[in-house]
Amino acid sequence: MHSPLLESKLYLPRSRQALVPRTRLAERLRRRDGIRLTLVSAPAGFGKTTLLSAVVAERPGRTAWVSLEESDRHATTFWTYLLTALERAAPGVGEGALGLLQSGQAPIESVLAGVLNELSVLPDDVDLVLDDYHLADGPEIQPGMAFLAEHLPPQVQLLISTRADPALPLARLRARGELVEIRAADLRFTADEARAYLNDLTGLELDAADIATLEGRTEGWIAALRLAALSLQGRDDATAFIEGFAGDDRYVVDYLLDEVLDRQPDDVRRFLLETSIADRLTGPLCDAVTGRSGGKAMLETLERQNLFLVPLDDHRRWYRYHHLFGDVLRTHLRAERGDLGELHRRASSWYEEAGETVAAVRHALAAGDAEHAADLVELAVPALQRERQEPTLRRWLDDIPDDVVQKRPVLAVGFIGVLMSCNEFDGVGQRIDDVERSLAGPADTLVVVDRGELVKLPGALEKYRAALALASGDPAETIEHAGRAIARAVEGDHLTTAAASALAGLAHWAAGDLEAAHDGYTTAARDLRRVGYIADVLGCSITLADIETTQGRLRQAQSTFERALDLGEGLRGTADMYVGLSRLGLERNDLEAAGNFLRRAEDLGPAAGLPQNPYRWRVALARLREAEGDLVGARDQLDAAERVYVGDFAPNVRPIAAHRARVMVAQGHLSAARDWIRQRGLSTDDELSYLREYEHLTLARILLAEQARGDAIRLLERLQTAAEAGGRTGTVIEILGLRALAQGDVDPLERALTLAEPEGYVRAFIAEGPPMMSMLAALAQRRPDWPYPHMLLDAVRRPASQAPKTAGEQVLAEPLSDRELDVLRLLAGELDGPSIARQLVVSLNTVRTHTKHIYTKLGVTNRRSAVRRAHQLNLLTR
Amino acid sequence: MSHDSAWYEIRLQGQLHPRWASWFDGLTVTSAADGTTVIHGRVADQAALHGVLQKLRDLGLPLLSVARIDSDPAKHSTPGELS
Repeated sequence: MHSPLLESKLYLPRSRQALVPRTRLAERLRRRDGIRLTLVSAPAGFGKTTLLSAVVAERPGRTAWVSLEESDRHATTFWTYLLTALERAAPGVGEGALGLLQSGQAPIESVLAGVLNELSVLPDDVDLVLDDYHLADGPEIQPGMAFLAEHLPPQVQLLISTRADPALPLARLRARGELVEIRAADLRFTADEARAYLNDLTGLELDAADIATLEGRTEGWIAALRLAALSLQGRDDATAFIEGFAGDDRYVVDYLLDEVLDRQPDDVRRFLLETSIADRLTGPLCDAVTGRSGGKAMLETLERQNLFLVPLDDHRRWYRYHHLFGDVLRTHLRAERGDLGELHRRASSWYEEAGETVAAVRHALAAGDAEHAADLVELAVPALQRERQEPTLRRWLDDIPDDVVQKRPVLAVGFIGVLMSCNEFDGVGQRIDDVERSLAGPADTLVVVDRGELVKLPGALEKYRAALALASGDPAETIEHAGRAIARAVEGDHLTTAAASALAGLAHWAAGDLEAAHDGYTTAARDLRRVGYIADVLGCSITLADIETTQGRLRQAQSTFERALDLGEGLRGTADMYVGLSRLGLERNDLEAAGNFLRRAEDLGPAAGLPQNPYRWRVALARLREAEGDLVGARDQLDAAERVYVGDFAPNVRPIAAHRARVMVAQGHLSAARDWIRQRGLSTDDELSYLREYEHLTLARILLAEQARGDAIRLLERLQTAAEAGGRTGTVIEILGLRALAQGDVDPLERALTLAEPEGYVRAFIAEGPPMMSMLAALAQRRPDWPYPHMLLDAVRRPASQAPKTAGEQVLAEPLSDRELDVLRLLAGELDGPSIARQLVVSLNTVRTHTKHIYTKLGVTNRRSAVRRAHQLNLLTR
Repeated sequence: MSHDSAWYEIRLQGQLHPRWASWFDGLTVTSAADGTTVIHGRVADQAALHGVLQKLRDLGLPLLSVARIDSDPAKHSTPGELS
């Protein structure tokens, strides 16, 4: 994410010319306390951007600046820019959130909640500026923006410039006095400001009457005054010109621009008009478009003369025309030239050369050359998909006519992939049929640019049919098409075989056929590894280990995680492997190892985790808390896990809510657990399926706690039959243990132990509490020579091994004070700044001061790293 | 609320050169004697109408009125009304 495009979007414009001081506005913008939103809402050319850049330059604190554009209406694009800008202004703040966002699977509120949490303890103030917000405002970003505006911590102020009032709760903010509004009437130049501008800054020496006339005719519109100043420069007949202008009804900008253009030398005039077709300008691009040289020098001259150019960086490299002038220039150009195709074609070629496909396609489309645009898109699909630029691809799908796409099978299949990744399944089946038909027809009617992709199409089409079948909930069809995709994949097309195998695996998994699911994922992992998609290999490992655990093959699961870790250091997904190992450690009742693995996962930082890791990590910590006997802590972690829950394609076989219901049972909160049963509509007569097995087992546990033994036993027997048929030995062990308790019978327990012994299960039994202990004791008596029951009993008598709580050698140059330690402990939790302040009964400012000291002493810049460092130094041990 | 194409007449403060017709996707731009401009023509649907209004906003042109009209007043006929 370091493209020049990004740089120019996040570039904070600096005023290079002296400005008209706007004391009356500055006064109103100085206030910071209690203001959430500063809204500068006015039409084009009122100096909104100039005002905001002057405001943030003057205020203390950090600035995150985003210059929005038309293409930023798409939510992921918009939030990516916003989070990147915040991250740059306050390092660490957007960390993790960006990954979560780009996974496309987390609701925007969860993404923002973490960021707001970080911001709320920031020692400095932050101005978040969204310039030209009207270009992005819309239903896609609205919910997230409303959430942001509503939850901004006091040290962050949102500043928005826009041509249309944003769809935000303005009335509420206004009523609470949290809104500062600057509107057109405030922005327009007063007579004094017009005088200061025209005479002091531009050196025109106009008399008061002329200034009043100009101010009246332009109504203080700054863009118009600026043009007027340009037309007046070097004129002897200023008064006559102003009178003529005042007596004319024409659109002010049109009139003045005509005047300005007429007074330019021919080459400058031509340059301005011809280059107006480009959104951004740089010397070589201008040369390509105009067909002449000297573009860079021309741009610098225009900038010096203050001719409509807005610099986009500090290096005099990229510029754009002021939006309003750009629009007017283009209209003049179109009226003079008619067809602009050639200019756009030249711009397109230049961008193509420069490797900027998106801009090249835009200009090819503007040139009306859909065929060439299609060529470019066809070649760009794989790279853009890798970079998750599906929204851009999706727009092109609308822009390129169907008949152009239909004769291009590679492009057509690329678009099918785009539609499916956007969850648009309507008409995809038809598109697949169309491509198959065209492939079967005569080859000379087809257009193929990316030859290498053509041979892969038959396999890819079947892969998409499989995905389509999975989306419509048809596992049999999924498996059938996935099989064909694998059969038709050409030698070496590992991506297709991997995707098809994973699709088949998913279908088998959802149907409860774990053996086949395991096979599918094993193949997928192997082929993904061949093409170097290591993060996806690690993703497959999670699924494989999960299946193995359900099958009661703990040792196999252990080795799956360990082999995955051997693939490399610090890869994305590594943290997830440690979380998995933690769970297995817990099953062996090794609480110390379980805790250490979680810490290691955390130490690796968010970049080492897959999108699901934040919630999985918390679930694993909840298990550890349960094992430590801290049920309240366990429920807190489960609640936290739910807040950051991110689904994926895999079936959610252990829902967090069900897990929480189990903790409720352990706490004796049976009516709360009952509520959960009602919500989920569970009953003992339900048809059983693997997907709901965990929930039904939870139901059995609640029944047992309610002393409804008969119902519990009947349900457990049915569950056992299903689990045995599906080869889910891990589940069978749990069921047998519960049956032993329900029936007061040692026999099922004996069978459970027989199954569990080779895999080293401990926790599964001792977690069931004292009643299970008596059963184990009975079993130990019956089988005195069998060490396993004795070992389990010993594990309970000897308190679970706890991490030795060394006082934590403080290697800090300056140790933390007790109060700072209090704050640090709370920072490790989920509370935001104001809540921490409430908890400690201090002001938010005090919390921020403490935070600042903590960060300095720990040598970190943000909350997440502070907590990580604290763990490393053992500062958080209770 | 109609989702079909319809004729609209939009009146602005100030006189806009007819060359702006292409900017407004081929709508007719006429200067009136009272110093206002009338943009009229058929727009495909409500989204297209809002697109036109947005362009006016982007030029900073003050809007006087937007009216839906029966048909093209210049021609006094109803071409394509039923299509």
